[in-house]
Amino acid sequence: MNQKTFGLGLFIFLIIPPVANLMESVMIIHMHMQMPILVITGFLMAPFFQSKFSRFFEKWNHNGIPGILLFIIIVGYWMLPRTMDEALELWMVELFKFISLPFLAGVPLRDSWKKLEQAGKNTVIIIFSIAFIVMGWLYINATMQLCNNYLLIEQITLGWGFLTMGIAFVIFLGYRFFFNPSAYE
Amino acid sequence: METVISQTGNASVFKEKANKILGVNLQDAKISKSYLSVAFIALLIGGTLGLLQGLNRAGLLELPSWLNYYQVLTAHGLLLVVVFSATFTIGYFYAGMSHTLGGLLPKVRTMVWIGFWLKIIGVVLVVIPVLMNKASVMYTFYPPMAADPMFYFGLVFVVLGVWMACFGGFIQVANWRKNHKGQHLPIFSFFATGVFVLLVGATAFVAVEVIFMIIPWSLGWVDTINVMVARTLFWAFGHTAVNIWYLTAVSAWYVIVPKVIGGKRWSDLLTRIVVIALVIMNITGGFHHQIVDPGISESVKYMHVFMSLAIGFPSLMTAYAMFAVFEKTARKQGGKGLIGWYKKMPWSDVRFLAPFIAMLAFIPAGAGGIAQTTNQLDQVVHNSMWIVGHFHLTLGMSVAMTFFGISYWLVPYLSKRVLTKGMNQFGVVTTVIWTIGMITMSGAMHTVGLFGSPRRTSYTTYFDNATALSWDPYLIFLAIGGTLLMIAAIMQVYAVFNLMFFAPKGETEFPIAEVEDGEAKTPYWTERWGVWIILMIIVVAMAYVIPLTDFIVNAPPGSPPFKTW
Repeated sequence: MNQKTFGLGLFIFLIIPPVANLMESVMIIHMHMQMPILVITGFLMAPFFQSKFSRFFEKWNHNGIPGILLFIIIVGYWMLPRTMDEALELWMVELFKFISLPFLAGVPLRDSWKKLEQAGKNTVIIIFSIAFIVMGWLYINATMQLCNNYLLIEQITLGWGFLTMGIAFVIFLGYRFFFNPSAYE
Repeated sequence: METVISQTGNASVFKEKANKILGVNLQDAKISKSYLSVAFIALLIGGTLGLLQGLNRAGLLELPSWLNYYQVLTAHGLLLVVVFSATFTIGYFYAGMSHTLGGLLPKVRTMVWIGFWLKIIGVVLVVIPVLMNKASVMYTFYPPMAADPMFYFGLVFVVLGVWMACFGGFIQVANWRKNHKGQHLPIFSFFATGVFVLLVGATAFVAVEVIFMIIPWSLGWVDTINVMVARTLFWAFGHTAVNIWYLTAVSAWYVIVPKVIGGKRWSDLLTRIVVIALVIMNITGGFHHQIVDPGISESVKYMHVFMSLAIGFPSLMTAYAMFAVFEKTARKQGGKGLIGWYKKMPWSDVRFLAPFIAMLAFIPAGAGGIAQTTNQLDQVVHNSMWIVGHFHLTLGMSVAMTFFGISYWLVPYLSKRVLTKGMNQFGVVTTVIWTIGMITMSGAMHTVGLFGSPRRTSYTTYFDNATALSWDPYLIFLAIGGTLLMIAAIMQVYAVFNLMFFAPKGETEFPIAEVEDGEAKTPYWTERWGVWIILMIIVVAMAYVIPLTDFIVNAPPGSPPFKTW
């Protein structure tokens, strides 16, 4: 099985109602597991689109910046509490989630990442480190339910998930900053 | 030699080659010999205590009040699961790092010696309260059972000692990589790196548990402790620790055993992926030890089954790789038939026989582990003797027997002595006795566990309850197995010290297998340890954030310390 088929298979598995329901039943799993895996499915399926529409990607994403901006906008949109709530309430939004995360975030991420300079990559990671830490702070300290569908405790859990993930990103940036790969490779 | 020097012009490469040809660096050998000596002394004492327990559980021996069952149980667990395994692992990997990375750096030597003495101090501090019956809290030291604070301070020293050895290893590896840009770390040291990363990761959890929770509580600075948080932090360590000992055994299966049987290593890439996968996914497996714990919702437990089973996947890859190596090698040596090739394996060589039986044992041991990982099946066996049988099969068989097999070449290599035919025979007999003993004991434990016999309990008939009395025949087998294991342990310890001090002088090879000819080059991404460590942190963060937040935010009042013994 090549990665394109694996990505498609994983995508279909994730949208099966019982699987989607189980993952959406826990707030942090909804945001930190289902959504990133949806992005990963797009990442895996990307070579299919890259070969089919090579001229399109070359024309619109030759330096990787438009693609990564689209990725940041889509992922940023899905980090908002309200969008998660709507995905559970309105089937149109749920559908948009299943389309946007793989195809408007996963695919452009893959197409852009290799085209970006090292500074660009670091900028993206810095943006997400800050976003994760801020979101973590927000979800941990918010005294009221930000989502109608999830309890306060789930919100706090998600906050800690954001914070620990943000810390992991910061460690990675530190590793990039302090260790020069050319000294070893 | 000269081609090597002219090719690279690098003094350190020359030093490495010289090291390989001239044999072990004596200063480095002393480090490994010290660690191995402590390991096997711990095996002897821990084994003796194990026999006492076995005899007690069978109703054959009443332990005196000054050395009760729970003291013996605590010391047995700590000496074997922590001291024997950790000191062997460090001694073994340091010998291999010295061999494959061109000798240890002076500062690394200093670090690992400091680590050695920190561990010795730690073990002494742990053992004193245990002997005084002030710390019969068993290997898991679950709160709210509270030991004397000295016990926990001892554990802190043990962890500090382990960290010194791990960071020494990192410095050694980083230095080698700086001098060998673009090259893959030699496979033995790759395993060492994986093991040391996991050791730091695992012990970090127990360090938080002991330093920030248990010590202030046992000293009376705080009144209560959050039991569930403590248990969770413990198992992030406890589970990973036993998997580290397993990964150490696996390193010998991949790297050493093919050379001993005269073959080549299976895919270098697959080997490195197995190490990386085990490093990234291991710590979160701790949850399956808490599968019947309260406070964790069922959906989270079900999701963790996936995480735990994921660890089984690299083990299956290992099983495939090992048998592929055996068959390939045997066929090259003239083995024929669908399974007839097995006759060509060097069955009379203890360096092969012991690790081979260890691998074989991992088939039922791993299957048992998968059963226990499954929520419903675990409910049948949890806290029964089945679990004790399981970890004696995994640790006592797969891990310990591989360590024994390693000792028959590693100790003579370090001591500049040789393994004689007689000592090899002695080793084969030891292996056979250990195998029979462990099958008997572990088999009895598994079976009696299914019938409901509890673990962590000294002998009792529960007022001659019929069910409890029905366990007795199996418990007798447990005692018989334990006795055989004691005989084998004494023989093994004798063999180690004989090979260290009395065997004939000579040179013994450090057997590291080469890769197959014409194998595709391993991609360089396998060397990006920084990325693997970050992935490990992210996986751990994702796995632990749900239950830990729940335990802390919805915490019950907490528990004061209890002395139940």
